[in-house]
Amino acid sequence: MSGQYHRPHRWAWFLERPGYMRFMVRELTSFFVGGYLVVFLITLARLGGGEAAFAEWVAALASPGWMAAHIVALVAAVWHAVTWFAAVPQAMPIYLGEERLPAPIAAIVMGYGPWLTVTAVIVWWVLR
Amino acid sequence: MGHGTTQQHDVIIIGGGGAGLRAAIAIAQENPSFSVACVSKVYPMRSHTVTAEGGAAASIKPNDSLEDHIYDTISGADWLADQDAVEYFVNEAPAEMIQLEHWGCPWSREPDGSVAVRPFGGMKIERTWFAADKTGFHMLHSLFQTTLKYGNIVRYDEHFATKLLLDDNGNCRGCAAIELRTGSTRAILGKSVIICTGGAGKAFPFTTNGSIKTGDGMAMAYRAGVALKDMEFIQYHPTGLPGTGILITEASRGEGGILVNKDGHRFLQDYDLGEALDVSDPRHPQKRAMELGPRDKLSQCFIKERDAGRTIETKDGHVMHLDLRHLGEAKIDKKIPFVRELARNYAGIDPVHQPIPVRPVVHYVMGGIDTDTDAATNIPGLYAAGECACVSINGANRLGSNSLTELLVFGAQAGRHAARFAMDHPDYDVSALEAQAADEGARVRRTYFDASRKGERIVTLRTELHDAMEDGAGIYRDADSLQAACATVTDLRERYRNVTLDDHTNSFNTELTAALELGSLLEVAEAMANSGLKRTESRGSHQRTDHPERNDDDFLAHSMAFRQEGGAPPRIDYKPVTITKWPPGARTYGAGSGLKKPAGETT
Amino acid sequence: MPAQDTMTLEIFRYHPETDSEPRFQSFEVPYNEDWVVLDAMNWIKDHVDGSLTHRWSCRMGVCGSCGMMVNGEPKLTCAAFLKDYYPFSIKVEPLVNFAVERDLVVSLDGFMEKLQAVKPYIVRDDVNDTSGGEYMQTPAQLAQYKQYSMCINCMLCYAACPVAGHEDEFLGPAALALGHRYNKDSRDQGQSERLDVMLMGEAIWGCTFVGECTEVCPKHVDPAGAIQQAKAGAAQEYFKRFVAPKGAGA
Repeated sequence: MSGQYHRPHRWAWFLERPGYMRFMVRELTSFFVGGYLVVFLITLARLGGGEAAFAEWVAALASPGWMAAHIVALVAAVWHAVTWFAAVPQAMPIYLGEERLPAPIAAIVMGYGPWLTVTAVIVWWVLR
Repeated sequence: MGHGTTQQHDVIIIGGGGAGLRAAIAIAQENPSFSVACVSKVYPMRSHTVTAEGGAAASIKPNDSLEDHIYDTISGADWLADQDAVEYFVNEAPAEMIQLEHWGCPWSREPDGSVAVRPFGGMKIERTWFAADKTGFHMLHSLFQTTLKYGNIVRYDEHFATKLLLDDNGNCRGCAAIELRTGSTRAILGKSVIICTGGAGKAFPFTTNGSIKTGDGMAMAYRAGVALKDMEFIQYHPTGLPGTGILITEASRGEGGILVNKDGHRFLQDYDLGEALDVSDPRHPQKRAMELGPRDKLSQCFIKERDAGRTIETKDGHVMHLDLRHLGEAKIDKKIPFVRELARNYAGIDPVHQPIPVRPVVHYVMGGIDTDTDAATNIPGLYAAGECACVSINGANRLGSNSLTELLVFGAQAGRHAARFAMDHPDYDVSALEAQAADEGARVRRTYFDASRKGERIVTLRTELHDAMEDGAGIYRDADSLQAACATVTDLRERYRNVTLDDHTNSFNTELTAALELGSLLEVAEAMANSGLKRTESRGSHQRTDHPERNDDDFLAHSMAFRQEGGAPPRIDYKPVTITKWPPGARTYGAGSGLKKPAGETT
Repeated sequence: MPAQDTMTLEIFRYHPETDSEPRFQSFEVPYNEDWVVLDAMNWIKDHVDGSLTHRWSCRMGVCGSCGMMVNGEPKLTCAAFLKDYYPFSIKVEPLVNFAVERDLVVSLDGFMEKLQAVKPYIVRDDVNDTSGGEYMQTPAQLAQYKQYSMCINCMLCYAACPVAGHEDEFLGPAALALGHRYNKDSRDQGQSERLDVMLMGEAIWGCTFVGECTEVCPKHVDPAGAIQQAKAGAAQEYFKRFVAPKGAGA
């Protein structure tokens, strides 16, 4: 008997199902989130380096390349947040007696609601 | 291939469904030093217990009584049940059900946290425990997962047992089984053996039974010399989906569903089953009446209604309608969600909005391997439990929701008694049994792998068997139809000796197992048809149009089919029914039927 | 004109005694709109080629035997209707991420070990004592775990999980969901024992929440959700043990 057959290793497994591709996109968005964090840290460092250094850095960020990078990072970060809010009801179910809070409502209660609230507070604080 | 390694244990269980697993736990628990083998042709969680839907009966509520459960069971059985067995069963049922609850079965609950019960057909008081409408599924998985706790339960998954092995003293000491992965025949030896291999609904074409329900254990015991008891009693469940035979649970009627004919009329009221209360009447559904009558009567009513031209004709034959619409979406989704899933997937019907087309379908074999209340057969060391066995608590018609409880009560009973036998009779000659197993392996090869054979395909014989049983041994039978079925089955057994396979290889030869299964079905079907022919009366599910009355003078007795060598039809003997406190009476349904209590007691 | 409509099934064949590599074989089957893929396979086995090998039993979506890849999707073949593919051909393969025994039959050995590892049973001292009647459990407590008890062990989730295909240590969706089912059962007291198993290596942490297990589950068990919940419990336990190692205290 030659025994069991084992399928060969599939290196391109992530192309096999749309769900796998969505997963890869979600994971890749974290690079943009991380990248933006680096930019933010540099900005803070420049702020510590004095007014001139900060102004020079801010001016550099106004270039079309940096603007484009920021837009891409923003889209990626929003998408990352959306996928996480979609996952929250699965990972943290809320029960009201026998009934489980439906996923869209749970996503609002635990994700979008707090997000919008915090955003509103920041906007108010900046604009006041 | 050739013959595989010999395995030795203390008790061998053949079959890994509800009864087999319950037996295994009983032994493992009470005899921690024992090694228990569980031999199954499938993985245990595939066993047919998994498809049971509606529930399992046990009397625990204050408004119920053991006496009522006993009386409902005995009258449901048309007095063919052994009353000592029924009493034992009913008395043990509550503790067994609580035990399964402790093992994790997710029973549906009352708001206070106690187990909820629902009514089923032929019951005076609701006593059916349920896990929504996947009761068998949850029971099987709870039992199977609980067996994983015990290191002394050794599973032989996907091992097809073909022969019981008896030592020189006539004690049963194991089985020969084909390991499907390699095709080798192994001797799996023990000091005692329990058969828990389920029923044989696959002898019929239109059945709720899965493909594995082929009577293998019944046939094995029959070949070893045990009688098959009451095999003429075949239960038709009144509500299967046309075409596929998929079961729509009796719980749908327990929750208030109604059966109507093509005119929308609740025709059961025309057949002495009680008054048709409006579905909004708080007394609906009424116990032991109308849609909650027993299965045999409801299936028979359907045939009468069909013969009167009042059923609905479809491409899959005549049907009646099971109407659940008045229950509403919320109740359907909570209490019988699987009914909705099945009806949608397999009939394209949403029961929230449309009635479900249903017709009677072969569901359960009341008869089986003759055992006593200890689950023992006439072969020392051989026990049987579950649908393959006939204790008998089911008599001529099983009540819905007694079979799941039976798995537990008699599974545990078989386990305890088999373990005791193993302790008392520990010694046997291994080499003689090994030799028998090797011979059996050689016989299987010789019989099925002979390349020079030019016989018929499995499907040809199986289809003819199906036709013969449906035509000859259906809901209504007579001498001519049964005679024809007997003759056809005898002829098929002869032709089967030459059955021809495409596949003569060893590994996972499922064509070989299909051939072996057909062999089992032919033996069991022969017992069914011949037992039916000899019983010239009508009782429960056995309705003879040529003998329409019950005849207690001659037939208050179990038929006992003994296999004969040389292809001759079985010898049919009779064994009296054990009657203790409930003398045979008229079997009535409708309001006020059921156990008559002495004056002063409330019902 | 053909008397009857037909459809083509392209079926994966592999025999361990004669083949070193699998191959595909085409079969023409009668088209019947009530048929599922499993019916077509059974028709082939009965009438054309008795050596075709696959598992099946209940044909009503509850025994869990007949999972296969149907046009690349893990499916119960008893619930995959021909009419949903007609008139195109259907490719049937064994579930991916499992070793193939023969044709459509895959090995369940690994899963059976993983299932046993999560202790899928009630752990409690008085579990065999029925004298006190049933354990009380309110409908709300039942609801906490009911969904995760619906697993039929059909293995579609393992076929959909890229981690299960690459990481042997990972217990996988069904086994973890069943472990979680007992952790959430109000009658159980075995959570700590189960976490001993889950905290090891990649047992649970292998899950990267791809979520496809939940997508393919025919019984809506949501193993992905169960695993994330179990991870949260495991993380708390991990932290607790870090602060107060097991055995040191209570």
